[in-house]
Amino acid sequence: MFKVGYDNDSIISFKGPLTVGLLSFVGNSLKSIIRVENSLAKRIFRIFIELTQNVSYYSAETIEVEKGIKSGVGWFIVKENSNKYNVTTGNLIIREDGFKLIRNCDEINSLTEKELRELKRRTRSQAIERDVGAHIGLIQTSLLSGDKLNYKVTELDDIHSFFTISVNIKK
Amino acid sequence: MENIIIKEVPDAPYYPTVNFDVQNGVCEISGESYMEETFKFYSPLLEWIKKYLEDKSKPLTLNFKLTYFNTNSSRLILDMLDIIKKSKDEGNKVIVNWYYDAADPDMIDEVEDFEMETGLDINLVELKK
Repeated sequence: MFKVGYDNDSIISFKGPLTVGLLSFVGNSLKSIIRVENSLAKRIFRIFIELTQNVSYYSAETIEVEKGIKSGVGWFIVKENSNKYNVTTGNLIIREDGFKLIRNCDEINSLTEKELRELKRRTRSQAIERDVGAHIGLIQTSLLSGDKLNYKVTELDDIHSFFTISVNIKK
Repeated sequence: MENIIIKEVPDAPYYPTVNFDVQNGVCEISGESYMEETFKFYSPLLEWIKKYLEDKSKPLTLNFKLTYFNTNSSRLILDMLDIIKKSKDEGNKVIVNWYYDAADPDMIDEVEDFEMETGLDINLVELKK
Protein backbone atom coordinates (compact mmCIF):
# COMPACT_ATOMS: atom_id res chain seq x y z
CA MET A 1 0.00 0.00 0.00
CA PHE A 2 2.92 2.34 0.69
CA LYS A 3 4.94 3.85 -2.06
CA VAL A 4 8.32 5.15 -1.08
CA GLY A 5 10.03 7.46 -3.53
CA TYR A 6 7.80 6.62 -6.47
CA ASP A 7 8.81 9.71 -8.37
CA ASN A 8 11.87 11.94 -8.23
CA ASP A 9 11.03 14.09 -5.27
CA SER A 10 8.45 12.05 -3.35
CA ILE A 11 9.47 10.57 0.01
CA ILE A 12 6.31 8.67 0.83
CA SER A 13 2.71 8.45 -0.31
CA PHE A 14 -0.36 6.46 0.65
CA LYS A 15 -3.94 6.09 -0.45
CA GLY A 16 -6.61 4.49 1.73
CA PRO A 17 -8.09 4.86 5.22
CA LEU A 18 -5.96 7.27 7.25
CA THR A 19 -6.10 5.71 10.71
CA VAL A 20 -4.25 7.31 13.59
CA GLY A 21 -2.04 4.22 13.88
CA LEU A 22 -0.91 4.59 10.28
CA LEU A 23 -0.37 8.36 10.57
CA SER A 24 1.62 7.93 13.75
CA PHE A 25 3.81 5.29 12.11
CA VAL A 26 4.42 7.36 8.97
CA GLY A 27 4.86 10.63 10.91
CA ASN A 28 7.46 9.12 13.19
CA SER A 29 9.19 7.36 10.28
CA LEU A 30 9.42 10.73 8.53
CA LYS A 31 11.34 12.12 11.50
CA SER A 32 14.03 9.49 10.97
CA ILE A 33 13.96 9.57 7.14
CA ILE A 34 14.28 13.34 7.01
CA ARG A 35 17.61 14.09 8.58
CA VAL A 36 17.17 17.74 9.46
CA GLU A 37 17.44 19.81 12.61
CA ASN A 38 14.99 18.98 15.35
CA SER A 39 12.74 22.05 15.10
CA LEU A 40 12.20 21.59 11.33
CA ALA A 41 11.51 17.85 11.75
CA LYS A 42 8.94 18.69 14.44
CA ARG A 43 7.29 21.25 12.18
CA ILE A 44 7.02 18.77 9.29
CA PHE A 45 5.58 16.14 11.65
CA ARG A 46 3.01 18.59 13.08
CA ILE A 47 1.89 19.79 9.64
CA PHE A 48 1.69 16.20 8.41
CA ILE A 49 -0.53 15.21 11.35
CA GLU A 50 -2.83 18.26 11.08
CA LEU A 51 -3.44 17.83 7.34
CA THR A 52 -3.82 14.06 7.35
CA GLN A 53 -6.07 14.05 10.42
CA ASN A 54 -8.37 16.49 8.65
CA VAL A 55 -8.76 13.69 6.10
CA SER A 56 -9.28 11.06 8.85
CA TYR A 57 -11.91 13.16 10.62
CA TYR A 58 -13.70 14.88 7.75
CA SER A 59 -13.39 12.93 4.49
CA ALA A 60 -16.80 12.25 2.93
CA GLU A 61 -15.59 8.74 2.16
CA THR A 62 -15.16 6.45 5.15
CA ILE A 63 -14.35 2.80 5.72
CA GLU A 64 -15.11 0.75 8.80
CA VAL A 65 -11.57 -0.25 9.79
CA GLU A 66 -12.62 -2.11 12.91
CA LYS A 67 -16.05 -3.01 14.19
CA GLY A 68 -17.74 0.31 15.00
CA ILE A 69 -14.71 2.43 14.11
CA LYS A 70 -14.80 4.41 10.90
CA SER A 71 -11.84 6.11 9.32
CA GLY A 72 -11.73 8.76 6.59
CA VAL A 73 -10.33 7.72 3.24
CA GLY A 74 -7.97 9.87 1.18
CA TRP A 75 -4.34 10.16 0.19
CA PHE A 76 -1.18 11.99 1.12
CA ILE A 77 2.20 12.64 -0.47
CA VAL A 78 5.28 14.00 1.27
CA LYS A 79 7.90 15.41 -1.06
CA GLU A 80 11.32 16.91 -0.80
CA ASN A 81 13.28 19.03 -3.24
CA SER A 82 16.40 21.14 -2.95
CA ASN A 83 14.96 23.95 -0.85
CA LYS A 84 11.69 22.71 0.66
CA TYR A 85 9.47 19.92 1.87
CA ASN A 86 5.89 19.60 0.75
CA VAL A 87 2.87 17.84 2.25
CA THR A 88 -0.21 17.33 0.07
CA THR A 89 -3.46 15.57 0.93
CA GLY A 90 -6.62 14.82 -1.03
CA ASN A 91 -10.08 13.64 -0.03
CA LEU A 92 -13.70 13.55 -1.05
CA ILE A 93 -15.94 16.24 0.48
CA ILE A 94 -19.63 17.10 0.34
CA ARG A 95 -20.03 19.65 -2.46
CA GLU A 96 -21.78 22.16 -0.17
CA ASP A 97 -18.90 22.04 2.34
CA GLY A 98 -16.53 23.02 -0.46
CA PHE A 99 -17.81 26.58 -0.54
CA LYS A 100 -17.08 27.06 3.16
CA LEU A 101 -13.64 25.46 2.78
CA ILE A 102 -12.80 27.88 -0.04
CA ARG A 103 -13.90 30.85 2.11
CA ASN A 104 -11.84 29.59 5.05
CA CYS A 105 -8.69 28.94 2.99
CA ASP A 106 -8.96 32.32 1.22
CA GLU A 107 -9.36 34.09 4.55
CA ILE A 108 -6.34 32.27 6.01
CA ASN A 109 -4.26 33.18 2.96
CA SER A 110 -5.18 36.86 3.27
CA LEU A 111 -4.01 37.26 6.88
CA THR A 112 -0.71 38.21 8.50
CA GLU A 113 0.86 35.90 11.10
CA LYS A 114 -0.45 38.07 13.95
CA GLU A 115 -3.96 38.06 12.51
CA LEU A 116 -3.77 34.29 11.98
CA ARG A 117 -2.92 33.73 15.63
CA GLU A 118 -5.88 35.88 16.63
CA LEU A 119 -8.12 33.89 14.30
CA LYS A 120 -6.78 30.65 15.75
CA ARG A 121 -7.57 31.72 19.32
CA ARG A 122 -11.03 32.93 18.33
CA THR A 123 -11.82 29.79 16.32
CA ARG A 124 -10.60 27.53 19.12
CA SER A 125 -12.63 29.29 21.83
CA GLN A 126 -15.76 29.00 19.72
CA ALA A 127 -15.22 25.40 18.58
CA ILE A 128 -17.38 22.61 19.96
CA GLU A 129 -15.36 20.18 22.10
CA ARG A 130 -16.88 17.11 20.46
CA ASP A 131 -16.31 18.31 16.90
CA VAL A 132 -13.62 20.95 16.64
CA GLY A 133 -13.86 21.17 12.84
CA ALA A 134 -11.30 21.36 10.05
CA HIS A 135 -10.88 25.13 10.18
CA ILE A 136 -8.44 25.35 13.10
CA GLY A 137 -6.22 22.63 11.63
CA LEU A 138 -5.90 24.68 8.45
CA ILE A 139 -5.03 27.82 10.41
CA GLN A 140 -2.41 25.88 12.37
CA THR A 141 -0.97 24.42 9.17
CA SER A 142 -0.58 27.89 7.68
CA LEU A 143 0.98 29.25 10.89
CA LEU A 144 3.50 26.42 11.17
CA SER A 145 4.50 26.41 7.50
CA GLY A 146 4.65 30.20 7.15
CA ASP A 147 3.28 29.56 3.67
CA LYS A 148 0.00 30.03 1.84
CA LEU A 149 -2.39 27.10 1.57
CA ASN A 150 -2.45 25.86 -2.03
CA TYR A 151 -5.83 24.26 -2.35
CA LYS A 152 -8.18 23.13 -5.05
CA VAL A 153 -11.84 22.12 -4.95
CA THR A 154 -13.00 20.14 -7.97
CA GLU A 155 -16.73 19.52 -8.34
CA LEU A 156 -17.40 15.90 -9.25
CA ASP A 157 -21.19 15.74 -9.32
CA ASP A 158 -24.23 17.27 -7.56
CA ILE A 159 -23.23 15.78 -4.21
CA HIS A 160 -19.46 15.49 -4.06
CA SER A 161 -16.33 17.52 -4.70
CA PHE A 162 -12.68 16.60 -4.31
CA PHE A 163 -10.45 18.70 -2.06
CA THR A 164 -6.66 18.82 -2.34
CA ILE A 165 -4.42 20.95 -0.18
CA SER A 166 -0.70 21.42 -0.35
CA VAL A 167 1.80 23.35 1.77
CA ASN A 168 5.51 23.98 1.48
CA ILE A 169 7.89 23.99 4.41
CA LYS A 170 11.13 25.84 3.75
CA LYS A 171 14.37 24.05 4.59
CA MET B 1 -11.51 10.28 44.60
CA GLU B 2 -9.01 8.05 42.91
CA ASN B 3 -5.79 8.80 41.11
CA ILE B 4 -5.74 8.70 37.31
CA ILE B 5 -2.76 6.88 35.89
CA ILE B 6 -2.43 6.32 32.16
CA LYS B 7 0.83 4.68 31.25
CA GLU B 8 2.81 5.03 28.05
CA VAL B 9 1.71 2.68 25.28
CA PRO B 10 4.61 2.17 22.85
CA ASP B 11 2.28 1.05 20.04
CA ALA B 12 0.04 4.07 20.52
CA PRO B 13 2.27 7.13 21.01
CA TYR B 14 -0.69 9.37 20.16
CA TYR B 15 -1.94 9.02 23.75
CA PRO B 16 -0.14 11.06 26.39
CA THR B 17 0.87 9.59 29.72
CA VAL B 18 -1.19 10.94 32.60
CA ASN B 19 -0.64 10.97 36.33
CA PHE B 20 -3.24 12.78 38.44
CA ASP B 21 -2.39 12.34 42.11
CA VAL B 22 -5.10 13.16 44.62
CA GLN B 23 -2.81 12.83 47.67
CA ASN B 24 -0.25 15.48 46.74
CA GLY B 25 -2.42 17.47 44.29
CA VAL B 26 0.00 17.18 41.40
CA CYS B 27 -1.25 16.43 37.88
CA GLU B 28 1.08 15.66 35.05
CA ILE B 29 0.43 15.16 31.33
CA SER B 30 3.37 14.26 29.11
CA GLY B 31 4.23 12.86 25.70
CA GLU B 32 2.15 13.46 22.59
CA SER B 33 -1.59 13.91 22.09
CA TYR B 34 -3.28 13.30 18.74
CA MET B 35 -5.68 10.43 19.36
CA GLU B 36 -8.84 9.89 17.32
CA GLU B 37 -11.46 10.27 20.07
CA THR B 38 -10.13 13.35 21.79
CA PHE B 39 -13.26 14.26 23.75
CA LYS B 40 -13.59 10.74 25.14
CA PHE B 41 -9.99 10.78 26.32
CA TYR B 42 -10.04 14.21 27.97
CA SER B 43 -13.52 14.18 29.55
CA PRO B 44 -12.52 12.11 32.62
CA LEU B 45 -9.48 14.34 33.15
CA LEU B 46 -11.62 17.48 33.09
CA GLU B 47 -14.15 15.92 35.48
CA TRP B 48 -11.37 14.89 37.86
CA ILE B 49 -9.96 18.43 38.03
CA LYS B 50 -13.42 19.96 38.52
CA LYS B 51 -14.17 17.56 41.37
CA TYR B 52 -10.77 18.01 43.01
CA LEU B 53 -11.11 21.79 42.98
CA GLU B 54 -14.52 21.69 44.69
CA ASP B 55 -12.57 21.68 47.95
CA LYS B 56 -11.20 25.22 47.98
CA SER B 57 -8.52 24.43 50.55
CA LYS B 58 -6.67 21.92 48.38
CA PRO B 59 -3.85 23.32 46.23
CA LEU B 60 -3.28 21.92 42.75
CA THR B 61 -0.23 21.90 40.51
CA LEU B 62 -0.68 21.04 36.86
CA ASN B 63 2.49 20.10 34.98
CA PHE B 64 2.32 19.93 31.20
CA LYS B 65 5.19 18.08 29.57
CA LEU B 66 3.56 17.60 26.20
CA THR B 67 5.92 17.69 23.24
CA TYR B 68 3.11 17.67 20.70
CA PHE B 69 -0.66 18.04 20.67
CA ASN B 70 -2.94 18.42 17.66
CA THR B 71 -5.48 21.21 17.38
CA ASN B 72 -8.32 18.92 18.51
CA SER B 73 -6.43 18.17 21.72
CA SER B 74 -5.65 21.85 22.17
CA ARG B 75 -9.40 22.56 22.35
CA LEU B 76 -9.70 20.25 25.36
CA ILE B 77 -6.50 21.57 26.97
CA LEU B 78 -8.09 25.01 26.68
CA ASP B 79 -11.12 23.70 28.59
CA MET B 80 -8.81 22.37 31.29
CA LEU B 81 -7.09 25.74 31.62
CA ASP B 82 -10.47 27.54 31.71
CA ILE B 83 -11.53 25.36 34.65
CA ILE B 84 -8.25 26.18 36.42
CA LYS B 85 -8.64 29.91 35.77
CA LYS B 86 -12.18 29.94 37.12
CA SER B 87 -11.19 28.13 40.32
CA LYS B 88 -8.18 30.41 40.78
CA ASP B 89 -10.49 33.42 40.54
CA GLU B 90 -12.62 31.78 43.23
CA GLY B 91 -9.67 31.48 45.57
CA ASN B 92 -8.11 28.07 44.84
CA LYS B 93 -4.35 27.81 44.95
CA VAL B 94 -3.41 26.52 41.51
CA ILE B 95 -0.13 26.56 39.65
CA VAL B 96 0.31 25.65 35.99
CA ASN B 97 3.79 24.80 34.72
CA TRP B 98 4.57 24.13 31.08
CA TYR B 99 7.86 22.35 30.44
CA TYR B 100 9.32 22.99 27.01
CA ASP B 101 12.38 22.29 24.92
CA ALA B 102 14.37 25.44 24.11
CA ALA B 103 14.83 24.12 20.58
CA ASP B 104 11.07 24.18 20.03
CA PRO B 105 9.98 27.82 19.54
CA ASP B 106 6.57 26.79 18.18
CA MET B 107 5.65 25.39 21.62
CA ILE B 108 6.31 28.76 23.28
CA ASP B 109 3.82 30.34 20.84
CA GLU B 110 1.26 27.71 21.81
CA VAL B 111 1.63 28.46 25.52
CA GLU B 112 1.38 32.22 24.86
CA ASP B 113 -1.84 31.62 22.93
CA PHE B 114 -3.28 29.63 25.84
CA GLU B 115 -2.36 32.45 28.24
CA MET B 116 -4.04 35.06 26.06
CA GLU B 117 -7.15 32.94 25.59
CA THR B 118 -7.64 32.11 29.27
CA GLY B 119 -6.06 35.05 31.10
CA LEU B 120 -4.20 32.49 33.20
CA ASP B 121 -0.51 32.76 34.09
CA ILE B 122 1.41 29.72 32.88
CA ASN B 123 4.99 29.25 34.07
CA LEU B 124 7.25 28.33 31.18
CA VAL B 125 9.94 25.99 32.44
CA GLU B 126 12.82 25.09 30.16
CA LEU B 127 13.66 21.39 30.15
CA LYS B 128 17.24 20.66 31.08
CA LYS B 129 19.05 18.37 28.68
